Amino acid sequence: MTLQTSAIEPSVPRALIGVVVDNALVLALVTVFAIFSFATPTFLTIANLQSILVNNFTLLAIAAIAMTFAVSVGGIDLSVGTAIDFASFAFVSLVLAGQPVAVAALAGLGAGAAVGAFNAVLISGIGISPFLATLGTLFIGRSIQQLLTNGGNPVYLPPSGVPEAFRFLGRGAIGGIPVPLIIAAIIIVGATVVLTRARFGRVALAIGIQPSVVRYSGIAARAHVAVAFILAGLIAAVAGLILSATVTVYIPSSGSAFLLNAIGATFIGTTLSRLGRPNIPGTVLGVLLLGIVANGLLLTGLNFYWQQVGTGLLIFAVLALSFITRRKA
Amino acid sequence: MSAASPDEIGDAIHLDGIVKRFDGALALSRASLRVRRGTVHGLVGQNGAGKSTLIKLLAGLHQPDEGRIEIDGQAYDKLTPHRVEELGIHFIHQDRLLVPTFTVGEALFLGREPRIAGTPFLDRRLMHRRSSEILDDYFGVKLPNSALISELSTAEKQIVQITRALLDQPKVLVFDEPTAALVRREADILFRLIRRLRDDGVTIIYISHYLNEIEELCDTVTVLRNGEDVATLPLGETSAAAIARLMVARDIADLYPKRSVTPGKDILTLDRLSAHGKYQDISLTLRRGEVLGLTGLLGSGAKELIRTLFGLETATSGQITIGGKPARSASPAQAVDRHLALVPEDRRGNGVALDLSVTENITLSSLKRFTRLGFLDFSGERREADDLIRRLEIKTSGRNALVRTLSGGNQQKVAIAKWLSRHSEIYLLDEPTVGVDIGSKVEIYNLIGDLAARGAGIIVLSSDLAELIGITDRILVLFRGSVISEFVSSQTSPDDVLAASTGSSEVLRHVG
Amino acid sequence: MSVDIQLAPVIHFEPGVSTSKPSRSGNLAASALRAGSLVAFVAILLVFSLTAPYFLSVGNIGNVLGQSAISGVLAIGLTIVLIAGGSNVVTGGIDLSLAANMGLSAAVYATAAQLGYGDATAVAAALLTGLLIGAVNAIAVVVAGIVPLLATLAVMNIVAGLELVLTQNTVIPASTPLLTALSSSGPLGIPALAYVLLVFTLIAAAIVQYTSAGLQLYAVGEFPDAARAAGLPVRRLVAGAFIASGLCGGFAGILSVSNLSGSTTGSGEMLLPVVVTALLGSVFSRRLVPTVIGTLLSTLFVGFLVNGFQLLNISSVLVSGVQGLLILLVVSATTLLRRQEA
Repeated sequence: MTLQTSAIEPSVPRALIGVVVDNALVLALVTVFAIFSFATPTFLTIANLQSILVNNFTLLAIAAIAMTFAVSVGGIDLSVGTAIDFASFAFVSLVLAGQPVAVAALAGLGAGAAVGAFNAVLISGIGISPFLATLGTLFIGRSIQQLLTNGGNPVYLPPSGVPEAFRFLGRGAIGGIPVPLIIAAIIIVGATVVLTRARFGRVALAIGIQPSVVRYSGIAARAHVAVAFILAGLIAAVAGLILSATVTVYIPSSGSAFLLNAIGATFIGTTLSRLGRPNIPGTVLGVLLLGIVANGLLLTGLNFYWQQVGTGLLIFAVLALSFITRRKA
Repeated sequence: MSAASPDEIGDAIHLDGIVKRFDGALALSRASLRVRRGTVHGLVGQNGAGKSTLIKLLAGLHQPDEGRIEIDGQAYDKLTPHRVEELGIHFIHQDRLLVPTFTVGEALFLGREPRIAGTPFLDRRLMHRRSSEILDDYFGVKLPNSALISELSTAEKQIVQITRALLDQPKVLVFDEPTAALVRREADILFRLIRRLRDDGVTIIYISHYLNEIEELCDTVTVLRNGEDVATLPLGETSAAAIARLMVARDIADLYPKRSVTPGKDILTLDRLSAHGKYQDISLTLRRGEVLGLTGLLGSGAKELIRTLFGLETATSGQITIGGKPARSASPAQAVDRHLALVPEDRRGNGVALDLSVTENITLSSLKRFTRLGFLDFSGERREADDLIRRLEIKTSGRNALVRTLSGGNQQKVAIAKWLSRHSEIYLLDEPTVGVDIGSKVEIYNLIGDLAARGAGIIVLSSDLAELIGITDRILVLFRGSVISEFVSSQTSPDDVLAASTGSSEVLRHVG
Repeated sequence: MSVDIQLAPVIHFEPGVSTSKPSRSGNLAASALRAGSLVAFVAILLVFSLTAPYFLSVGNIGNVLGQSAISGVLAIGLTIVLIAGGSNVVTGGIDLSLAANMGLSAAVYATAAQLGYGDATAVAAALLTGLLIGAVNAIAVVVAGIVPLLATLAVMNIVAGLELVLTQNTVIPASTPLLTALSSSGPLGIPALAYVLLVFTLIAAAIVQYTSAGLQLYAVGEFPDAARAAGLPVRRLVAGAFIASGLCGGFAGILSVSNLSGSTTGSGEMLLPVVVTALLGSVFSRRLVPTVIGTLLSTLFVGFLVNGFQLLNISSVLVSGVQGLLILLVVSATTLLRRQEA
């Protein structure tokens, strides 16, 4: 009898660990935020917070959400950067060729989705593991970009030839809020709704958790996996469009810069969530954590190179703490 | 050496008054097992009687809640797998723990690899020579040195695993259903080996469903029932039939609350269904309200037949008809659309998603019903989950609890609830009560009765013959891929069905 | 532990009693795949040698070996982690910090050399750096229980940052007797680095393929339950694999300094190509598992490809595409073959 009671009512330290585990990511974020607010006078200013969102958040958030879709079905997408690049290339090239911005943007989205579809064929059609399939895509994509650009020459838009709509996408603002941030917000909300409220999201998460049960429940799991990877390509393409509109140039293979941080943010969000499931709010908090740490370290006046060390150490600490406390709980 | 003193022929193993609970469910209630040195000791009991729990306690994988474990007259408090092995007790498991890409020699010597004298390097030549010698000497088996484990037959893998244990010169060897995957001749080789080991002074614990093997091989047998040892008898004083009676609970009527339902229209018909190398010419008819039992040993084709119906395997010829329409399903999705439901044997792998909530599991298959324009109707899901939790008496801390936190029986109810939510009409239940405690078992039997009463057709595949007889209307026995006999459940006994499924009564029955 | 069994033979059988027929078809498919890859390897060498006569000369082969030394050492390090971690890269073994490790070790070596320390000290410092990075990975994975993909990703960031701190993102030139020797030519006019690669491969292969520890690594990676049942020190073996991989990173760092006469930035670029190379390597083994020799072959395969393209004046931008295609082809073939067997 006594045994059972103690099992139902956990002791205080145990409950405390539970609370910490449940909210690990938010706690980490708040702690980091507080530290930088005290450590530097400029951190907690409107201008700086806005700069975090614009410079350290938007593109990575979108790329990481693309990654989250791949991770939600139990996969990983090493070719998010490839989708970003292909979208950016199609977008810039078509605008350069005088096509309307809308047409070029659609073509860019199509290019990203095509990368996702290629992955989908490899993974759902042939049955290759996502890591290897998207690794192959990444490498092939690199060569294709080199071929398309004569060995890796950037495609510039001449300053005079940048259409207004193009510029607006990258640098415009509506009501003082930068357009890229608005787009990111829309994608965050949309992706959250899809993963938590749509049937697709439920099935995707179930596949990620236990694929055989989904199959044994009479659901076409492979089709859902395919859709998840196509969505990943499509969402990454949005990041590609914003990237090229911001810098008005396409640089081959520049999208791969987002890969490792996107993986990091997604898995931080996944492992630090209460149920350990891939989730958009977690991913977004993960991106914020990375962004705040990068920005805060910059403001501390720490040598630029120490910032990377600091970021790495901090993420390492967060991961280690969460894995250790989780095991104790 | 002096003559055998009483001490020397004492107990190799003595488990005394063992109590073990899992999640509150009693798995063992005061079970005892006393194995004398140098004997072959049989351990029998139905699924869920507590055999595997008892063996896991001995292996140091679980700790008993009460009771005492003595090995060689010495009491041990906290056994670990490592300690048990040091004490010379080895286990031959059903799932063969061999690395698939290893050669036979590497698999045999893993963890105690011989080295070339004076160097740190593996002596592969010695490993291969010794392994061929041992395999040839003990089993008359010749395998090429280059053969990989993944290329061996099931029997060969088993032989490799037994040989691994022999390399340690064990004092006690525990065989867990060793012949399940063996053909008769291979089993004979194994029996001769076991007798020889006994004569060399090794103590053997032999767990098997096959009572004729127990009769043939063992010196003593302990019968477990409902977590208790109901008898320990020398084989000279008992028979397979007597053991079978001890295994089955006396109050069958209470345990198997069979409803009488008048069968309705045909719902599923198989016409000479065959799958090359698995089963052939299976014909049967299932009617609404009927519970059809299916049984057969491993390799009988019964499992493959169920999988084919659910679209997990393909038949090579023959017809499946559901509601008058041809219905050979190419995928589970197609089968489910035809109102088929499978409750698979591997519940935790395929039946329920352990890390999804009760609600998410229940509505997984019927999500379309709870979807409006692609979005989920959470309140509809909640109502459905609450309703089924109540109707099936699923014990859970709430509909949002992860299924991982439920007991085996309640997990199984969730697996069935999933299909109730899908409004399935033909239920394929594969070993529905494996690892389910007695209390939940009865509830699941009641549930099966309810389903039949509501007009569903049900096929139960089970190796628990008393259960099969207790809850079904008819029983088909498969043997080597064919239906070998059919029984009316109310007019047969476990012994008869067992005899049919082992093929030992083949001649008689066909003469009669 | 003794392997002698004193029990007498139990039964003697007339020959032919041997049991149910094992299926060797899996073997056939695997060897077809392996033969196919070897044939492809040889065919590509042939095409190059026919179109570019210089291709198969001793000098050129030596060059390819020398140019492959750094990626070869890294890929072999990764191979050890792949062996201990099993085939699933996401949940199993991967070391993303390997390339960054090389960069930092190179920087440590070059800095030490520049500060006037001798070769012995500089080498020790570089190797110690690699070892420490490996140890951190090992602790993160084995003690803290972080998934290798995440643990080594975080460590990668730290290490890459430390490299930047140390080098201030500049080239640190270094010149020591060891570097001179490494960048010189050995017998037959073949670069010394080529010999280094061969000797290193031999040593690594001897350890991984021919010792108990090596065999146990495979058991741990492929079937942890079997490894545990056999009483293997699973955690220690996994930790050892990460430490070995770290050491390889340190060693590759020294080689990279000799190749470029200094430590340069941008080592991170090598990560994914090395991952592909190591994964491709398993196709050169009979059992389709990662092996040291298989990884060497796969490294050389890529090396010859780059070299052949250069000789034929084909843009080397195709190399990564060919690598990508190869990995997809190989993996598709394996997957489809397995599905057929099932």
